[in-house]
Amino acid sequence: MSRSLKQVAVLLVALLCLDPHSRVSSAPICTHGPSGCHVPSLADLFDRVIQHSARMHSLSNDLHSEFEQYFLPSKNSIGKIYRKCHTSSILTPNGKENAQKLAREELTEVILKLLMAWRDPLFQLHQSMAHQQDFNSFSSNKALEMGDMTHELRKGVEKVAEKMRVLGMLGNSVTGLSPAETMLPISDSGEAMSNYELLYCFRRDSNKVQNYLKILKCRIIPEHDC
Amino acid sequence: MRNSGAVLILIFIVKLISQAAGVSAPGKPKLTSCRSPEKETFTCWWEPGEDGGLPTTYALYYHLENSETVYECPDYKTAGNNSCFFNKNDTSLWVNYNITVVATNALGKNISEPVEVDVAYIVQPNTPENVTAVVVDEDQGPFVRVSWEKPRTADTRSGWITLLYQLRVKQQKDKEWEEYNAGMQKYYNVFSLHPDTEFMVQVRCKPDHGFWSEWTQTTYIKMPDYIPRQRSLWIIITIFSVFIVLILTWTLNVKRNSVKLCLLPPVPGPKIKGFDKQLLKSGKTEEVFNSLVIQGFPPTIDYDDLLVEYLEVYDNEEQELVLDGKDLSEDCIKSKSPSDCDSGRGSCDSRTLLLEKCMVGRKGSGSDQHQYSQHGETSWASTESSECQGLEPGSPESSDGRVKTWPVVFSSPQPHHHYQAETVKPVYHSVPEILNHSSPHIMPTNYHHLHHQDIPQQEGRHGKPACRHSQSYNHFNLDGLNTPAPGVSPSRSLEYVEVQRVNPENMLLLRPLSDPNREPEGSDYAGEDYSKVKEVTSNNILLLRRDTSHHCVDDYSQASQCTTQQPPHPCKPVIYQSNSGMPQEGMRVMGNGYVDSTVLMPSY
Repeated sequence: MSRSLKQVAVLLVALLCLDPHSRVSSAPICTHGPSGCHVPSLADLFDRVIQHSARMHSLSNDLHSEFEQYFLPSKNSIGKIYRKCHTSSILTPNGKENAQKLAREELTEVILKLLMAWRDPLFQLHQSMAHQQDFNSFSSNKALEMGDMTHELRKGVEKVAEKMRVLGMLGNSVTGLSPAETMLPISDSGEAMSNYELLYCFRRDSNKVQNYLKILKCRIIPEHDC
Repeated sequence: MRNSGAVLILIFIVKLISQAAGVSAPGKPKLTSCRSPEKETFTCWWEPGEDGGLPTTYALYYHLENSETVYECPDYKTAGNNSCFFNKNDTSLWVNYNITVVATNALGKNISEPVEVDVAYIVQPNTPENVTAVVVDEDQGPFVRVSWEKPRTADTRSGWITLLYQLRVKQQKDKEWEEYNAGMQKYYNVFSLHPDTEFMVQVRCKPDHGFWSEWTQTTYIKMPDYIPRQRSLWIIITIFSVFIVLILTWTLNVKRNSVKLCLLPPVPGPKIKGFDKQLLKSGKTEEVFNSLVIQGFPPTIDYDDLLVEYLEVYDNEEQELVLDGKDLSEDCIKSKSPSDCDSGRGSCDSRTLLLEKCMVGRKGSGSDQHQYSQHGETSWASTESSECQGLEPGSPESSDGRVKTWPVVFSSPQPHHHYQAETVKPVYHSVPEILNHSSPHIMPTNYHHLHHQDIPQQEGRHGKPACRHSQSYNHFNLDGLNTPAPGVSPSRSLEYVEVQRVNPENMLLLRPLSDPNREPEGSDYAGEDYSKVKEVTSNNILLLRRDTSHHCVDDYSQASQCTTQQPPHPCKPVIYQSNSGMPQEGMRVMGNGYVDSTVLMPSY
């Protein structure tokens, strides 16, 4: 009898103690910066994004080398037809001074445009590579990974832009890309670009993105890395 | 028609002549490489072909991708011969350059193969600068810290270019370099270099996508001469501990036995004198245990000696007559049953038997039924006989009035004897001096006391009935003392008393040996030498009656609290009552109920 009474008493006490505080409430994640969880700083975000872009570029470089090694039809420089990359319409600074002349917002926008422009073509690339039996699974996986990474990178850059906007570094001129901006890689002749051409173009564009991000970072956060 | 033919023949002849002279159109140049040191400018180098013997000029032309406009090289000089330098204005990244070189001389020109160049991928930085190597001394040992700076032209600050560094080290004599990657940092610590040697250090760098730069000039660094203390310390410690271990081992070896004794104590074997382990092992247990038997244990006492005892009789006037002894006679007489008071030490009955034997003439040993101690029995039997015999011829002794040997039993240290050793002592019966002649004047003084001091004390100590004590202690050998010793000189101070007999009423009748008036049944003797037991009361009080002519003193002396069932015996009719009240006043009652009759002595 006494034991049951004791248990009841303990339960009552526990209930009394816990009840007022046991209300489930959704606490916002990391609202209070330093006291709560670790909020990545802008520098950390930039570092992550830059690392990501570096990885992406190295992947594209590897794929391109593979292509050139095994599947280039002929080193026929005369017969080479250089088609324009579909992203050539995007005005990108082609030098350091030109890149430094650009405002942060424009630079960020360029990055985002580039990344956005390659979302679908990379998917197509993966699809075509998967279908063709010439490619091993490793290459097609690389293509798929590349597509995912581009997607992730775009998200990351968007977050960085958001953060910068919050911190007041960016104006509000940066707007989201309209879906009409996306263009399909269609060459002048109307034919779809080959895989090699796609890879060639993407390799270049990923290099651009990496470079632009570095410039942006060192302009906003001048640290010892820069 | 004729003119064209003539011209052709002329040209042919000129060519033949020029060939004979060794001049021709220039050979095809070849672009070797194009490099950009900082991703902002770039330079292209070509290789001229055969010049054909004539002075040849080279021109570089390029056009950008997706454009047909052809540009010529802006700068042929900056980069040296057969080079073309593109400055910042003319350099565009992420754009393909289609470059060709044209060689021209008097006889003709030649065009090289076009080369596609994307500046972003032809970056090769300059070598790092200011490579310094310093020896840093620390507790763990000195090491070399190599530091450098980025090439001047590379703009890493804006993030335009990212450089990765690499250094290599080797000794002068080594063939292979040891390479270390330093990442993006501009210093590096090189450890574990050999002391007292000179090392060569070189550094180079690379952009994240590009070509490695050239190695810097060799930087020399000399490592100081040092002893690797850490290692030497451990060596010293190891040697020391080995030394200690050796010493310990040697010590243990020397003290092997004591260590064994300490760790594994030997199982104690049997340590019994006379015990032979070998016999035990052989299995003969009888022989083994026979050795354990100690000869001569328990110690036997020659009871012959015990029985010999002198009975001293003193003159009343001169000295007290102390009749030490337990009043065992009465008690023993009383307690005929052996089981009551006797623990085998020699019963009263044995004494009784002894008396009867000696007096009657040695009856059969009916004492078998009594409980004797093992030794007591034998001794008593021997004493009986000896005493009986001894006293027969002892009559000549008695003629002197010499006392016959009264067997006195004193407690022998029997194994079952519970008394303390010090309490065990021979109890002598000293009978008061009794004049052999019937000299009545001496008689009054004669009395005997039975000291019961010892008995009560002992009894109190051990809690045994006094009769046992009395049994064990006092045995009267009432043997041929009946033969009186006539002619005992009255002048003698000592006179012996004999116990005439123990009458059926358990009365001890004493009479002097030289008493001529002794009667075989002298229970009624009114002599003054006697002290007759008056009576034994119901509570086992022995009343000694001092049988004097004038008065009769009763000494209440309580021998014991014997748990006997003996009925009280009345006094003999001969013994007349005395004023019993008198001695009672002088008696001293002891704490335990015993009466100390010795107190009454001076009063007499």
